[in-house]
Amino acid sequence: MSWIVTGSGAVASIGSDTDEIYESLVAGRSGLAGLRGYDRGKFRAQVAYEIDDRPAPGVDEPLRATRWLERAVEAAAREAGLGDDLSSVPVLVGTTLRELRSVELSWRDGTPVEVADLHFGTMLRRRFGAADTHTVANACSASLYALALATDLLDLGQADTVVVAGVDTISESTYGLLDRCYPEAPDRVRPFDRARRGMLQGEGAVAVVLRREADGPGPGATVQARVRGVAVNCDAYHPSAPEAKNIAAAVREAHRRAGVGSADIDLVMLHGTGTPLNDEAESAALGSVFAGVEPSPYMTAIKSMTGHTAGASGLHSLVAAVDVMRRGSVPPIVGLDDPVESVAGFRMVRGQAVRPEEELRIAQIDSFGFGGLNAVAIVERYAGDETAGGDGAAAVREEGR
Amino acid sequence: MSRMHVVVTGLGTAVRGLGNPGELLGDRRPGGVPADPVERLTGRGLRYKDRATKLAMVAGEEALAAAGLIGADGAPTVPGESVGTVVSTNFGNVDTVCETVATIARDTYLGTSPMLLPATSSNVVASWLAITHGLRGANLTLCNGRTSGLDAVNWARLLVGSGRVERVLVVGVEPDNPAVRHLAPEQDEFFDGAAALVLESAASAAARGVRPLAELGPYARRAEHTRAVADVREREPRAVGLWCVPEHPEGIRAPGASLGPGPVGGVRDLSELLGPSSGALGVLQCVAGTAWLAGAAPDGADDVVLASAGTGDTGRDDAAAALILTPARSA
Repeated sequence: MSWIVTGSGAVASIGSDTDEIYESLVAGRSGLAGLRGYDRGKFRAQVAYEIDDRPAPGVDEPLRATRWLERAVEAAAREAGLGDDLSSVPVLVGTTLRELRSVELSWRDGTPVEVADLHFGTMLRRRFGAADTHTVANACSASLYALALATDLLDLGQADTVVVAGVDTISESTYGLLDRCYPEAPDRVRPFDRARRGMLQGEGAVAVVLRREADGPGPGATVQARVRGVAVNCDAYHPSAPEAKNIAAAVREAHRRAGVGSADIDLVMLHGTGTPLNDEAESAALGSVFAGVEPSPYMTAIKSMTGHTAGASGLHSLVAAVDVMRRGSVPPIVGLDDPVESVAGFRMVRGQAVRPEEELRIAQIDSFGFGGLNAVAIVERYAGDETAGGDGAAAVREEGR
Repeated sequence: MSRMHVVVTGLGTAVRGLGNPGELLGDRRPGGVPADPVERLTGRGLRYKDRATKLAMVAGEEALAAAGLIGADGAPTVPGESVGTVVSTNFGNVDTVCETVATIARDTYLGTSPMLLPATSSNVVASWLAITHGLRGANLTLCNGRTSGLDAVNWARLLVGSGRVERVLVVGVEPDNPAVRHLAPEQDEFFDGAAALVLESAASAAARGVRPLAELGPYARRAEHTRAVADVREREPRAVGLWCVPEHPEGIRAPGASLGPGPVGGVRDLSELLGPSSGALGVLQCVAGTAWLAGAAPDGADDVVLASAGTGDTGRDDAAAALILTPARSA
């Protein structure tokens, strides 16, 4: 079975909608800035990829993540022709940190916070009338894990339309502990660069509307992309360090579910956090999966501009991939000046965006999280002359194998 | 997928004073000064695990062992890839988050311990369960408010139904600590414990020669409690022999009115018995319901168990979930 994306919405430090985000990515524009909401005297690291919407410099407020999620879901639902009524649509929200930043403010400063706002169903019910809502706290692969669950719901006939979302804000506890972990404070996210110093967090939200391809996009909507398959697994190995072998297994399973081979992949949206452990595990896994594929797919890592948007990051990469395939330019990995040896055989996009002459048709999206949670999605460009559910779609699918 | 039969094959609990799952059906509150269940854990690496993780490990191991999925060494008796993990918790890691932000305010980031980093992410419990027992299948953490436990049980069923895994360890856990108490100032009692069950396809249980204790029936999460219950009762109309009610059941219609015709047996308020258990409640309800179906139900009866969590329509929760457990068919 395959599924179609009929709406998308996103916010991040580099843009307040999917168009702005794509344009920033292609222009190599980063959201990196000095810390906006924390007391900078408490940290060695001084920068992050925050959304600039606080009431005043240095002043933080609760429920920012909830606010961004609302905007992303609203945009995706409108594009999909669902309007503001999601009362019969399941909404799955992937997140690492939920509203734990609000909990921090409540505990430390006494800022009032309602327990019911810790999960996102409360806002989704109030704002969209949604009741079949699920907050999936699956660390930094959460939104792609949620995408896998959505494909299962559609497969099993449990729903006809599903909203899949991701959202995260930066919590001070994670920011401080990451600061404590790295030998030097990271100055920016530099995936696969020899000068990388570690990961810096980013903020944002993202949502897509998913349906079975056979059912078509529904009234008032168009098809933005085809999801071919999503694989998930768990390393069961270490609470924070990734395992290359199991990442490779997830990638291979995603290819198998999608009915594609390594040589069919045109674009890889790397997880690419700029931490040595993650970068090395990912490049080792991809080295084995793409061995013998010459040239390799184009590879890019948008965290170099968005920061690590945690639970939202997988779906941020997916929406970016859809726009890249539709609009033709592949964003660069900003700050990748001196690539590590392990990516020497890969076509990493560096310096500035590239605009390949050949059509980019199939993208692989990597997303890995704490607890060894791996999720990999395969997404296909949906050509304008295709009719969802019709013979055209089937023909393109056959050709892709 | 509604055609696939998913059954319960193992139960576990980690609740102070609770000897076995069957005691969830008794009227006696766990009393005295009983041993802390996490004292059952031995070995290295416990120092940096949070309370929720330790409680979940105790209940999870008990359920896996009861289902015959792990041997005496804790390693799986089936391929690790075939076993998924689903955890439900709302307050699991708020202690780490609150302690860390207070430490930073006092001593800057230098005062923190890097060993606490994994526990700032809400999936830390599921992560340790998988690592401890080599469970390499899909691994989910639901933090979904008061319905979360029942939602988790249903997601476990969907993971089996979709073919991603053959069996799933489901754990509901909530710790009691100052951070949790801070977040729920209106509560005067706090649950501290975990409940666990193993779900698998009936075919998997039969192939392993394991006796199913109960079978999962329909599930729904709806805006109103009455609609959630009506939805599952429509699909499973057999008489309800046991109803496990949500936290704060005051505003909910009497079972006779909302459950339709047929005899209604016992009503269990596990929140009254053990304290409000939030994300653990749905899993506790399923453990109690399974224990009832496997042992305490009247002989020859074909009654089912209804569990509902979250009240939705009374305004306390964003939604209500309902799930039915049915007697296991003999293979």
